[in-house]
Amino acid sequence: MAKQIVRLRVNGYSYEVLTEPSRPLLDVVRDDLGLTGTKEGCGTGDCGACTMFMNGEPVTSCLVIAPDAEGYEITTIEGLAKDGKLHPVQQAFIDHGALQCGYCIPGMIMSAVALLERIPDPSFDEIRAGISGNLCRCTGYTKIIEAIETAAKEMSAARV
Amino acid sequence: MTTYAVVGKPTQQITAPSKVTGNTPYPSDVQLPRMVHVKVFRSPVAHARIKRLDVSRARAYPGVVTVLVADDLPAHLARDSANRVFTLLAQREIVFYGQPVAFVVAETAQIAEEARDLIELEYDELPVVLDVLQAVDPSSPPVRYTMEGVDRSELRAHTTVKEEEEEAVKISNVTQRMIFSRGDVEQGFAEADLVVERTYRAQWVHQGYIEPMAAVVDIDAGSGELTIWTGTQGLFGTRETVAKVLGIPESKINVQAIETGGAFGAKLQPFAAAVAAFVATKVQRPVRYVLTRSEDLRAADPAPQAYFEVKTGVKKDGTVTALKARAIYDCGSFPGSPLMAGSNLLGAYYKWPNLEIEGLEVITNRVSQGALRAPGTPQATFAIDSQMDIMAQMLDMDPLEFRLKNAVVEGDLMPNGRSFTRIGLRECLGAMKETEFWKNRNNLGANEAWGIAVGGWLGGLQPASAIVALNSDGSISVLVGAADITGTNTSFQMIAAEVMSLPLHKVSVRTGATGNSPYAGASAGSKTLRTVGGAVFKACEDARDQMFRIAAQRLEANSEDLELAGGAVRVKGSPEKALTFQLLATMTQGFGATYPMITGRGNIGSPTMAPGFTVQGVKVYVDPDTGEITVKDACVVQDVGFAINPTAVENQLQGGLYQSLGIGFTEEMIWNDKGILLNPSLLDYRQPVSLDIPKIEVKLVEVPTNEPPFGAKGVGEPPISAGCAALANAAARASGARVYQLPVTAERILRAKGQVQ
Repeated sequence: MAKQIVRLRVNGYSYEVLTEPSRPLLDVVRDDLGLTGTKEGCGTGDCGACTMFMNGEPVTSCLVIAPDAEGYEITTIEGLAKDGKLHPVQQAFIDHGALQCGYCIPGMIMSAVALLERIPDPSFDEIRAGISGNLCRCTGYTKIIEAIETAAKEMSAARV
Repeated sequence: MTTYAVVGKPTQQITAPSKVTGNTPYPSDVQLPRMVHVKVFRSPVAHARIKRLDVSRARAYPGVVTVLVADDLPAHLARDSANRVFTLLAQREIVFYGQPVAFVVAETAQIAEEARDLIELEYDELPVVLDVLQAVDPSSPPVRYTMEGVDRSELRAHTTVKEEEEEAVKISNVTQRMIFSRGDVEQGFAEADLVVERTYRAQWVHQGYIEPMAAVVDIDAGSGELTIWTGTQGLFGTRETVAKVLGIPESKINVQAIETGGAFGAKLQPFAAAVAAFVATKVQRPVRYVLTRSEDLRAADPAPQAYFEVKTGVKKDGTVTALKARAIYDCGSFPGSPLMAGSNLLGAYYKWPNLEIEGLEVITNRVSQGALRAPGTPQATFAIDSQMDIMAQMLDMDPLEFRLKNAVVEGDLMPNGRSFTRIGLRECLGAMKETEFWKNRNNLGANEAWGIAVGGWLGGLQPASAIVALNSDGSISVLVGAADITGTNTSFQMIAAEVMSLPLHKVSVRTGATGNSPYAGASAGSKTLRTVGGAVFKACEDARDQMFRIAAQRLEANSEDLELAGGAVRVKGSPEKALTFQLLATMTQGFGATYPMITGRGNIGSPTMAPGFTVQGVKVYVDPDTGEITVKDACVVQDVGFAINPTAVENQLQGGLYQSLGIGFTEEMIWNDKGILLNPSLLDYRQPVSLDIPKIEVKLVEVPTNEPPFGAKGVGEPPISAGCAALANAAARASGARVYQLPVTAERILRAKGQVQ
């Protein structure tokens, strides 16, 4: 298959990549741009480990074809912290011990950030629904939910 | 009760800041220049004799580096052997759906996949045996026509006692038999007021790690030395196995420490590393081999199904009198199963005066099994604790009081004849009564009920080693060879900080590569903290003693009068007479320094067995029309000895209960009658998502051991044992109909209720 140039904006930087047009955005971001924070767990959109933002909306990047991501502002886990300061969700995950092996965590954090953008003061069930597309095998989700509850409170307090 | 400065306090995982920013590398993240990619051509059938394999068109495809077949494997490896890891490729006989038949190696993964489609395979299909009862029948067709040697390593990995085994030579599909017995079961049944007989089945379960099996292997084309990054719980086990597969000395292999995206026992067998290393020796370039999720579900090493016939006797006052059971574990297509561990735990929770447990292990034409957290135990616990629940219901006794009446204590015997050391099962049952779960258990809506179950794991034992070095800035470094399994390195940091009287930030912990760290067993078996942590403790004591020897001279004091405080050695009662660690470093490291360097070594033999018991409670709602289960409440109580890092311990307990719930009601690998896996995707192999699971309550019980570190017990495996049984018990009470098979699905509930034909 002939390669083509795909132009991507990721975490505020502009890139030009030469690639087969059928390649998933996930693979291009990881292998061509070296941003390996986003993970592949299944390649079929079922586990959420590949979650990143396109114009702020969470997507399973294993199912996005790279050329379709042109023109979007893409944000990956590497782009969440600003000027060396962690996002409140990231800090809450650390403080609550809401992780073990950590493999699902980049995708989980992205989904949590997107949830709190949409619903700043989510209920327990809204949190569960917000991360229901992210599989975790290590934690059983309890500490993750508690971390998101704390982050929501921190972010509300910061807005006041 | 001693109060400690560091241990016992919730502490942040060392790797957390790196993990939450996506900066921690995993094996599938490793990228090396000139790396080639492996894609595996796999069998489309479950059992066949290979007639013709033609890879010539694939070899000729542009961008393909090579295609490797069984004839290319190292000459010393037995072909179609009894050992799954050594059977990198099928040669004459295919024995499971998805079994590797050829390796396509190319410049990109995409090219390798395209070339793979050009491979031609002709075969004669052979009969497929999948059901354990069929496999046990001597008239069943053979699962395998070729099998060289028999592997017993699974047995040794999970038991610490020599068991009696009887090699089954007459029944070709039965690869192991064992029997535990004591007393007289018939007499026991005669003494019983109630005898209950039931049959239970538990399913094949995938360990469900989110990172598929992966390996990147680099090769120094000049020296032939291999460097391996792979998902594993045992760096040294990986080195040993890969060395055997390739027939090269271990000194030629360096396995790097790298975070693994989940394993839960599956990655103890280094399938991916063995393949990638073999290919690297052939192509003399770095090799990447990462399984897709579909491949991993089809062809890794999931946890096996098990079948139990259980007959128990009990007096009307609730005292159990006899247990007679027959257990059959499925190995899949290569011998080895957790038969011994599962059969032992089947009879280990309660005081059975008379027992007889006969166990068999059979091979079947499906992918071979591997360890899953407390191997064999969730299945056995489902059987025995369902049975206990049935007896409690029939005797109209409270399920917790019934279990308390019969729970084992120190000195009681396990089925294998060993007696329990100091254990905390009764304490856990008592502590369950103090949980919010228990207080709220009878707040029940219609079609809701709660259930409890007991579980446990004996805990592995192994020698361990650690090194502690003093740094020139007065901080210390701890070096171990044990893979950091979700926080064990953080616990080592805490142990070292406690013993050396340092703040956490002055203690660094590293897992070294196999080439530059002391030997470590696998971080598995609920033994890492107890053994390697014990070695860290001892290494710190050794470093401290070396410091004291120097300080005693310099401060003109006796060693007994010295103490560690605030990063210094000082004389008790005279804190101004002190030598800081930094000064000690200068005195022992600087050019021309006269004192020997301070390097603490801790080497220990296996500690005393310290089983961890758990009691778990689950509340469910069962829809009366659809049979669908909703889990409303869940609680895990566990004896952890001493919680060095309560956060990490809670994580292990919640995670274990979570996995047990998945085993209980959503997860099952399903093959059709031709041995084809029907659900090789995460859409159809249903691991519970956040919406399926309530907040999990945790209650820690501490019945400490008498040993370092600080009396801690292994915590990783007990929590997966009981949740599935507690859920099954809850569902039985909520629906009025008991399901004797895992997972307890809506369909099975409706069938048990007679609502579906």
